[in-house]
Amino acid sequence: MQQLTEQLQKVFRKVFMDEKLTIGPGTTAKDIKMWDSLTHLELIAAVEEEFGIKFTFSEVMQFNNVGDMMDVIRKIKNDL
Amino acid sequence: MIFNSPIILLFLIAVITLNYFVSPLFRSFFLLAASFAFIGYYSIESLLAVIIFAGFNFYIAKKISGNRLLYITGLLLNSYAIIMFNYFHITKHGVDFSYSFVSFNIGSFVVALGLSFYSLQNIAYLSEIYFKRFKPVKNIVEFGLYNSFFPKVISGPVMLPAEFMPQISKNTVTKEKLISGFNRFLVGVFKKIVIADRLSPAVHSIFDFGDQYSGITTIAGIYLFTIQLYFDFSGYTDMALGIGKMLGYDLKENFNFPLRSTSVSEFWRRWHISLIGWFTNYIYYPLVYRLRSYKKAAALTGIVVTFLVSGIWHGIGLTFLAWAFCHIVYLSFELMSKRFRVSLSGKVNHEIYEAISIFIVFNAVCFSNIFFRSASVEAAFQLIENSVSHFFPVNWLSGFIAPLAVGGHQVDEFNFYISLLICGSCLLFERRINKLALSTKLNVWFITIVTLLIFLFGIFNNGERFIYMQF
Repeated sequence: MQQLTEQLQKVFRKVFMDEKLTIGPGTTAKDIKMWDSLTHLELIAAVEEEFGIKFTFSEVMQFNNVGDMMDVIRKIKNDL
Repeated sequence: MIFNSPIILLFLIAVITLNYFVSPLFRSFFLLAASFAFIGYYSIESLLAVIIFAGFNFYIAKKISGNRLLYITGLLLNSYAIIMFNYFHITKHGVDFSYSFVSFNIGSFVVALGLSFYSLQNIAYLSEIYFKRFKPVKNIVEFGLYNSFFPKVISGPVMLPAEFMPQISKNTVTKEKLISGFNRFLVGVFKKIVIADRLSPAVHSIFDFGDQYSGITTIAGIYLFTIQLYFDFSGYTDMALGIGKMLGYDLKENFNFPLRSTSVSEFWRRWHISLIGWFTNYIYYPLVYRLRSYKKAAALTGIVVTFLVSGIWHGIGLTFLAWAFCHIVYLSFELMSKRFRVSLSGKVNHEIYEAISIFIVFNAVCFSNIFFRSASVEAAFQLIENSVSHFFPVNWLSGFIAPLAVGGHQVDEFNFYISLLICGSCLLFERRINKLALSTKLNVWFITIVTLLIFLFGIFNNGERFIYMQF
């Protein structure tokens, strides 16, 4: 869990160009200035690259917070 | 005008009263019948079109799951409705258009009534079902109500089935809903008749006569158009949502104080929310999702395609494309400069940064709206040129007041100042006004004062069309 969070945080920091960014399961786009509809899919693509997975369109549209994203990542990795 | 002609007001009073007393079992049927009466009152052709498309979409949705060809056919036919009912009046003014299934006389705009919004909703319905986000509606009366509900059928808000259908079975009409719906409706009438329509002559004077007004006069007219558009359309939205509320329904919000946006992308989350939501859901996100490995290029492509489609949806014409192009430039700039702006905002005083951002965004929106409003791109460029040349008028009365303070055929300075005062105060206090509009408490003072202001300062005689009704 911790490792997943840290790995994901690395991606967020890279995409949003902020080395001090921290994320948790409850983090949403409202908490991060750089995260909006224009940058959301860029983030998704970077997460997919990092973990070697592909999200479906409906999964991407249903993420309400980072926790949702982590749940789906774990589910995909377990299924692989 | 849709909601504030005397016959329609009588219709509204009758429907709202009867709806309150009709048994909840029959309400959907009653409201559907009322909706058909409403549409048919404006044009029988539109009613026929609505009934045919409603039936078509109802039946096709049942077979569409997993059937890509049928889905695309449905999309194409609904899109054809937009073309059929939106564009021909621009290119063939006053000509009988008879190769559709009914022959139309398009001397009047009425025929093109809002089937563009209506078709977007139909496309949304089919899409939600095809992508398995919603199950086809089984009850044809309930579907008909969702499809043609009169407060929203003409100019939106466009609503997804998941946002409306669940409300049907839970529909109740309470005293609180009647009061808050009425308050909202009243505020909407005020915004449209007192604010927007009072600004209309000034805007008309600057935009439609090609005269070489001085810079400051032209800029004033340009600013006033965006403000007129805002109050015109948010006033319509308030009326529509107020009526919906009095009938027990919560329709989708369309505006969230958009002129206070600190970025153009924020503006598009606050202005015409239901329409932009449609474009974002069905064009932007699916496209950018498919192209996401191209990172920023994907988002840029999404911006370009989404706004081109939005421009064309508003109308075929270079002006709408130019308007779309402005926003493509703005959003692309914002995307590429996001990091810089975030770090800048961290270094500068928060209030100052916000105030300057709001000012810049307002000007950017007003600039794009020059194209939106102008009859042609040449006229728009002429206006832009006028804004920066001969900035101050030689004579303030004839060069600034007279063009803007046009009341009928004479200069009406006093009334112009009243218009400015009213629209200025309403912009300043819009949050407070909005709270009053949503209040469930019966405030007799509020109602009396607003009604008085409507009759004292409202424009009743110029029949100015509600701007978004032409779409």
